[in-house]
Amino acid sequence: MRELFHEIASTLRNNKLRTALTGFAVSWGIFLLICLLGAGNGLMNSFMGNMEDYISQSITVEGWRTSKPYAGYQEGRIIQLDQQDIRYTKGTQWEGIIENVSSSTTSQSATLSLNGKTVNGWLMGVMPDYMEQQKLKLAAGRFINPADIRENGKVIVISAAQAKELLPGEPAGIIGKWINLGAIPFRVVGVYHTDERDYRRTTPVPYSTYKVIYDSSDKIESITFNVNGPQTLEQHQAFEKAYGSGIKRLHSIAPDDNRGIWINNGYTDNMQMNKASRLIRRALWILGILTLISGIVGVSNIMLITVKERTHEFGIRKAIGARPGEILKLIIAESITITAIFGYIGMFIGMVACQIMDKTVGQRAVDLGVEKIQMLVNPTVGLDIALEATLLLIIAGTLAGAIPAWKAARVKPIEALRAE
Amino acid sequence: MLIELKGVHKTYNNGQPLHVLKGIDLNIEKGEFVSIMGASGSGKSTLLNILGILDNYDEGTYHLAGTLIKDLSERQAADYRNRMIGFVFQSFNLISFKTAVENVELPLYYQGVSRKERHAKAMEYLEKLGLTDWSHHFPNEMSGGQKQRVAIARALITQPQIILADEPTGALDSKTSVEVMQLLKRLNQEDGITIIVVTHESGVANETDKIIHIKDGIIGEIEENTRHTAWDGPMMK
Ligand SMILES: Nc1ncnc2c1ncn2[C@@H]1O[C@H](COP(=O)(O)OP(=O)(O)OP(=O)(O)O)[C@@H](O)[C@H]1O
Ligand SMILES: [Mg+2]
Repeated sequence: MRELFHEIASTLRNNKLRTALTGFAVSWGIFLLICLLGAGNGLMNSFMGNMEDYISQSITVEGWRTSKPYAGYQEGRIIQLDQQDIRYTKGTQWEGIIENVSSSTTSQSATLSLNGKTVNGWLMGVMPDYMEQQKLKLAAGRFINPADIRENGKVIVISAAQAKELLPGEPAGIIGKWINLGAIPFRVVGVYHTDERDYRRTTPVPYSTYKVIYDSSDKIESITFNVNGPQTLEQHQAFEKAYGSGIKRLHSIAPDDNRGIWINNGYTDNMQMNKASRLIRRALWILGILTLISGIVGVSNIMLITVKERTHEFGIRKAIGARPGEILKLIIAESITITAIFGYIGMFIGMVACQIMDKTVGQRAVDLGVEKIQMLVNPTVGLDIALEATLLLIIAGTLAGAIPAWKAARVKPIEALRAE
Repeated sequence: MLIELKGVHKTYNNGQPLHVLKGIDLNIEKGEFVSIMGASGSGKSTLLNILGILDNYDEGTYHLAGTLIKDLSERQAADYRNRMIGFVFQSFNLISFKTAVENVELPLYYQGVSRKERHAKAMEYLEKLGLTDWSHHFPNEMSGGQKQRVAIARALITQPQIILADEPTGALDSKTSVEVMQLLKRLNQEDGITIIVVTHESGVANETDKIIHIKDGIIGEIEENTRHTAWDGPMMK
C-alpha cells in the first residue's frame, strides 16, 4: 500500500499539468455543488423563516365590505362582527370541530407615554390565546393571562421597538413600569419580540379591560379558533363554506357573496407554503444532481483521456512484469487520490464561499416597502451533506475511471506498446 | 534447452489475414548469444514478441525453460516476463516522467521489493553501466546510448535468464552501437545470460555467436559465428 502510494505520488508529481486539470474539474464540480446547495438552503431558510414567523395554525374571521346587495341592504356595507357570531362559533353545531375560540375587540390608535417620552400604539383587547395565534414571541415578561381578563387588569403588552423608544436599554427594564395611555395608566407586563423588518405596533390589553374602558358595545374585531377535522385543502374549503354561510345568515349577507366576511385560514396557507417549499426543494435537488452529473462526466472524461494517453506507458509496465491487476490498481488508486484531495479542496473553498455569502448577501435585507426581507438566511451547507456530496463524486469518479482502467488492464502488452 | 519452438505459426487478423510465421522450429541453449536476421517484414519482431510472451501464437509449441508457454493468463505471463526475461527495445521504452533510477527500479516494484532495496540495487546496476551520474536525470535529458544503457540496466535488474533485444542499436549512431553490442557481449560472457538480438545490420549480427536467418516466415540458414567472421567490414555500414 505504501509502495503504491509512493508510485502514485511520483506519477502525480511528474505529471503536474494533467494532475492540475483533473483536480480542477473535481474541485470545480464540488465547489459549484456546495455553493448551489448553500444558496438554496439560504433561500429556503429565508422563505420558511419569513413565513413561519407569521402563519399560525388557526383560522381568523373578520368583517369585510359586502359586494352584493341583499335583503334590502345596499352593496358596500361594512360588516361588524359581534357577540352573536361568537355564540354561533361556539355553538353545538361546531362541537368537536371548532376549538379554542377567542376574539379580539375593536381597536384604536393610542399614544403611549412614559416619563415624557411618547410612542404610537394600536390598542386592542385580546384573549390569552392571541399570543400563539399571532405568533408573538416574548422578549421579556409574560402575556395577558386569564386572571387579567377576570379582574379587568390594567396591564399591557408592548413591542420591543416601543419599549426601546420609551426606555432605552434591555426590554426587561420596562416590565412593571406604569405607562400612560391618554390619561389612564397601564402596567407593562410583557414585551414581545420585534426586529428591524417588523413594524407591528399592536399593544394588546385584556379583552375585558378594553370592553370596560373603551368599547362597551358587543362589537368585536375578529374571531380566532382552531379546527379539528378538516385535513385536505378541499375539506378546509368545504368547512369555510359551511361555517361562512352561518355568519352570512346572521348578518344578512348574500349567500353567494364572496366578500362580507373574510376568513383567513392559516392551515391552508401553511399547506400552500409547504407545497411551494417542496417545489423549491425539488428544483434544488434537480439542479444539484445535474451539477453532480456534469462533474462526474468531467472527471470520467479526463480519466478516459488520461488512460488512453498512457496506454504506451502501461505497455512498458506490462512488458517488465506488471500484472493486469497492478495496472488497474494504479489507475484507480490514482483517481481516488486525485478526486479525494481536490474534492476536499473544492469542498473547503465551497464552504468558505458559503460563509462569505452568509456574511455579505445573507446580512443584506431587501426592503419591500411594507417590510424588509432577508434574501438568504444562513446560506450554508452542513458538513455531512458536503462530505456526502464529495464522497459521491469520489466514488463516481472512481467508477468512471474504472471502466477505462479495466480496458487498459486487459490490453495485450504488445498492443499497448504499439500505441503511441 | 532454454528455448524450444516447434512448428510455431502466427497469423495477424487485422482485416486481411497475414500469415507471418509459418512453422518456426528453433532451439536456443542457455548462455547462447544469437542474432536473428531477415528482411523487413519477415517476422523477426513477431518471433521475438512471442519469445518474450508479449504476444501469443496460433499453432505449435513454445517451451521456455521446460515450461510450455501457451494460453497463459495475463497474470502468469506477467510473472514470467518479470522473472525470466529482460527486454531491450529499439525505441528504449523508458517511462518519460521517471528518472533513470526510477525506470530501472520498476521491475523490482512489481516483484514487491522494498523501496530502499530496489533503489540500492538500481544504483548498483547503473554504476555497472557507467551511469551513476545520470541516475536522477529524465530520459529526455539523456543521449540515445545512455537511454539504451538505462534500458539494459532495467532489463538486467531482475537477473533474468534471457535478454531479448529488438534492434537495440537501431536508433543509435555507429560508435554507440558498438558500445552497446560490447556491453551485451560482456553480459553474455561474464554473467552467462542468454541474449537474442534482432537486427538487420550484418555488422551487429557479426558480434553474436550464432546468426539465425528468417525468411518467408520460416527459419532459413543458421550460421555458427563463434569466430565472428560472418562480416568482414566495419561493424557498422
Ligand atoms: N499487429 C499487427 N497487425 C497486423 N500486421 C502486423 C502486425 N504486426 C506486424 N504485422 C505485419 O507482420 C509482418 C511481420 O512484421 P514484423 O514486425 O514481425 O517484421 P520485422 O521482421 O520485425 O520487420 P522490420 O525489420 O521492419 O522490423 C509485417 O508485414 C507487418 O506488417
Ligand atoms: Mg521489427
